[in-house]
Amino acid sequence: MSFKINMNVEGDTATIRLAGELDGRSAPELNDLVSQAVGRQVAKLVLLLDELTYMSSAGVRCLVFAHQKLPRGSEITLVGTQPEVAETIRLTGFDRSIMMR
Amino acid sequence: MLACRLRIDGQHASMAGVVADFVEVLAGEAGLDPRQTYWLRLATDEITTNIVQHGYRGSAGVVDIAGEVDQDEVRVRIEDDAPPFDPGGYDPEPRLSVPPHQRDEGGYGLLLAMGKVDEFHYEFADGRNRNTLIMRLRGGSDADGPGRR
Repeated sequence: MSFKINMNVEGDTATIRLAGELDGRSAPELNDLVSQAVGRQVAKLVLLLDELTYMSSAGVRCLVFAHQKLPRGSEITLVGTQPEVAETIRLTGFDRSIMMR
Repeated sequence: MLACRLRIDGQHASMAGVVADFVEVLAGEAGLDPRQTYWLRLATDEITTNIVQHGYRGSAGVVDIAGEVDQDEVRVRIEDDAPPFDPGGYDPEPRLSVPPHQRDEGGYGLLLAMGKVDEFHYEFADGRNRNTLIMRLRGGSDADGPGRR
């Protein structure tokens, strides 16, 4: 499996780019970066997902984790989500609390 | 038939990879389209993960995964020796009705497993849990799995 992740923090926004597959193996890496972003007191989290090809419930749990760790009212935006990954998120109801564009 | 046995010892970080490779090969044999492959892999991944985390609860055990392709469908059968548990009886509604920032982190796996496969069957037979996932071969049309309401 190939999984790549990197983060860029500018001002109050953390942008994390994910490529490959987000499952039980790779989810801890995303949680680590979310924790780092929270430590740097960001108010916005942007996930660039155009190269993410798979997301299991382990990835959904990362979204829950981010929701819980970021300050209340923080914005989480998913950009470029591929159709099956977007459908995975929709099935769990998270599309109602994050922005997907 | 394609089959593999996973021996679980509580350390299961690499399991998702085995499942991914297994479904990839099976889907290739069957000629499933990428969309069906995604959902069959996700279902197999989630059922297997659930067995390891909640069935065996960190203790040792085996998970047997077998795949079969015939003219009009692909079947993945997942068997384990953990206590009887029917994933089809799991009700996600209480969890989904809670706002996301108050939710538990867990509990989405079975919801996703049921989400888009064409059929899901469970039986407890010969002392084992037997989960069967079925994806019908039809090349690209939409599936609404048994979990859809």
